[in-house]
Amino acid sequence: MITLKSLRKQYGSTVVLDGIDLAIEQGEIVVVIGPSGTGKSTLLRCINFLEQPTSGHITVGDLSVDVTRATKKEILALRRRTAFVFQNYALFANKTALENIAERWQVVDGWPKEKAHQKAMDILERIGLKDQANAYPASMSGGQQQRVGIGRAMATGADVILFDEPTSSLDPEWVDEVLGLMKQLAAERQTMLVVTHEMTFARDVADRVIFIDGGRIVEQGPPNEIFQNPQDPRTRDFLQKILATNPTGV
Amino acid sequence: MATLNVDYMLGLVPVLLKYLPLTLEMAAAGMALALILACMFAVIRVLKIPVLNQFTIIFISFFRGTPLLVQLFLFYYGLPQLFSALTAINGITATIMGLTLHFSAYMAESIRAAIVGVDRSQTEAALSIGMTNSQLMRRIVLPQATRVALPTLMNYFIDMIKATSLAFTLGVTELMGATQKEAAGSFLYFEAFVVAAVMYWIVVELLSWLQRHLESRLNRAYNR
Amino acid sequence: MKSLLSYLFLAFALVVSAPLMAKDGPLKVGMSGQYFPFTFVEQDVLKGFEVDIMDAITQEMGVDVDYVTANFSGLFGLLGSGRIDTVANQITITDERKAVYVFSEPYVYDGAQVVVKKDNDTIKGVEDLKGKTVAVNLGSNFETLLRELPYADQINIKTYESNIERDTALGRVDAFVMDRVSASQIIKDKPLPLKLAGPIFSTLTNAYPFKDTEEGRALRDRVNKALASLRDKGTLKSISEKWFGIDITTP
Repeated sequence: MITLKSLRKQYGSTVVLDGIDLAIEQGEIVVVIGPSGTGKSTLLRCINFLEQPTSGHITVGDLSVDVTRATKKEILALRRRTAFVFQNYALFANKTALENIAERWQVVDGWPKEKAHQKAMDILERIGLKDQANAYPASMSGGQQQRVGIGRAMATGADVILFDEPTSSLDPEWVDEVLGLMKQLAAERQTMLVVTHEMTFARDVADRVIFIDGGRIVEQGPPNEIFQNPQDPRTRDFLQKILATNPTGV
Repeated sequence: MATLNVDYMLGLVPVLLKYLPLTLEMAAAGMALALILACMFAVIRVLKIPVLNQFTIIFISFFRGTPLLVQLFLFYYGLPQLFSALTAINGITATIMGLTLHFSAYMAESIRAAIVGVDRSQTEAALSIGMTNSQLMRRIVLPQATRVALPTLMNYFIDMIKATSLAFTLGVTELMGATQKEAAGSFLYFEAFVVAAVMYWIVVELLSWLQRHLESRLNRAYNR
Repeated sequence: MKSLLSYLFLAFALVVSAPLMAKDGPLKVGMSGQYFPFTFVEQDVLKGFEVDIMDAITQEMGVDVDYVTANFSGLFGLLGSGRIDTVANQITITDERKAVYVFSEPYVYDGAQVVVKKDNDTIKGVEDLKGKTVAVNLGSNFETLLRELPYADQINIKTYESNIERDTALGRVDAFVMDRVSASQIIKDKPLPLKLAGPIFSTLTNAYPFKDTEEGRALRDRVNKALASLRDKGTLKSISEKWFGIDITTP
């Protein structure tokens, strides 16, 4: 469903992504872990062209793009088939929660306002934030904002939702409600590619865990294999460090 | 010390009041057009649209770099020397056009700065749901930039109201021109210009009130 | 962008319809409205010597008159761009102006006059202007007259858009130069502490400038005819005496 072939990203002489090959099935929940600054976010941002990849191929559904020759039309199409959840929520500050979610339908899909708002209300209901419909981001808690952000991503009906450290900016008290929503989505078999440090989420929900270091996929597999039987020393090192600070046990 | 001719001042009020609407109309028309142009220029500059970007840079440089009076002279008296067709444009239209072009150059820079000041993640979020550049400008970035740019833009509007006084050089009598003529007739300069000053002052105070009102509306979304 | 296009379209439409506009339309006359007592405004009514003379001339010519007021510095621009037919603002005939415009017969004979603050006893005439600051109106030929003096580089000449009388009364400048006639009138009628200093130091003839085109010259000729018949009838003299108490329309 989503295929990345030899995806490279280079800034000048610095190589951030060193040839990523990845294939994700429909309905698969894939979690990406790894040390900070090793290209995890960049990987996500390359898929929907928030960063311009240097070389490689990206395929989403039936759309296949050679990144060196991507046309504006192809990039737009790529963005319309994917959805992104940002670390800092990035809700439209001048729109209410309802409007944030409705924006995709109203502006991009050209639906009439009432219809878009109606369906946005349904999503707010699903994520349990109906009472925040007319609230602006500035008056919402971090957890509420992120859930609206996820709702906005859900509204795109995208083939895959890309989560870029969705809980890293949240106060601990809000982390669970956001993870809860993500688990709900996973149960509905939404294809998800998640970059996170939340190992419990990875263990409980992921179909596959990918460990990235130095811009390359070092190791990947089902969560219990990666957490209980990491093969590569770098994986072991990383897991040791992160579980020391996160003593929830695996 | 000589005494103030209050009767003269009171008698002047209805006379000068007749010319206030023209002053305000020219400034309002100039402001509306300048705002549209300035937004276009700002977006062109931010998105760096080829060819248009170069043209915009030169436009802004010229209209910011030369005095408004010089621009009005060039347009109203200079160009008709070369293109006699242009004499058909009357003084009021020429003043409005001059104000529009001149102030749009300044306002474009203010709006551009405000656009650049909007958090990049707003643009990224809009792109991520598949919006085009013009959609995200129109729906997300410009509305947020407007809030930041409002005080500066209002300052330019106030400047524009006062700049309408240059219209008298083109033969258009607005508030300032009428005041000058009356003062020349009576030689009661202080009285005449005090009346005019008070009128300008009241207008600007009303605008300040409007600005406060607009700001509180625009800030609605951002109150915690 | 759209509004710019529609303005251009409007301009184009007006130009195309211009030939259709009446040929014997009003005479468009420019003046500053800021030159007492020649042209000024009282309670929104344009008045003055120039207005009375021009009213008489256009009546004699059998046409209407359209007065356009603008800052003095804009009047020749209006004339040059054809937006007015002539200027009635005490325009002195000079060689520089004759090179560009054609003039009617003179209708005012006057001279350049130094005017000082009432309590000023150091300046008694044009020869005392050495080392002084003197104000003149921007674009008027009094600046040129001052610069032609042999000691011109010892005079600090300041050009103003307007209000030279007031600044002299306030002491910001030592004197101003203007035609004797209006200066006398200002001193007579208005509450500023000024006085004439010395006799006139250059005679001036003032006339109406027209564009040096076939149309301009034709208009000039018609105005001359009207002027001549008004002179014969004594109208010029009586208007002059109304405003100045003397006849400034003859040498």
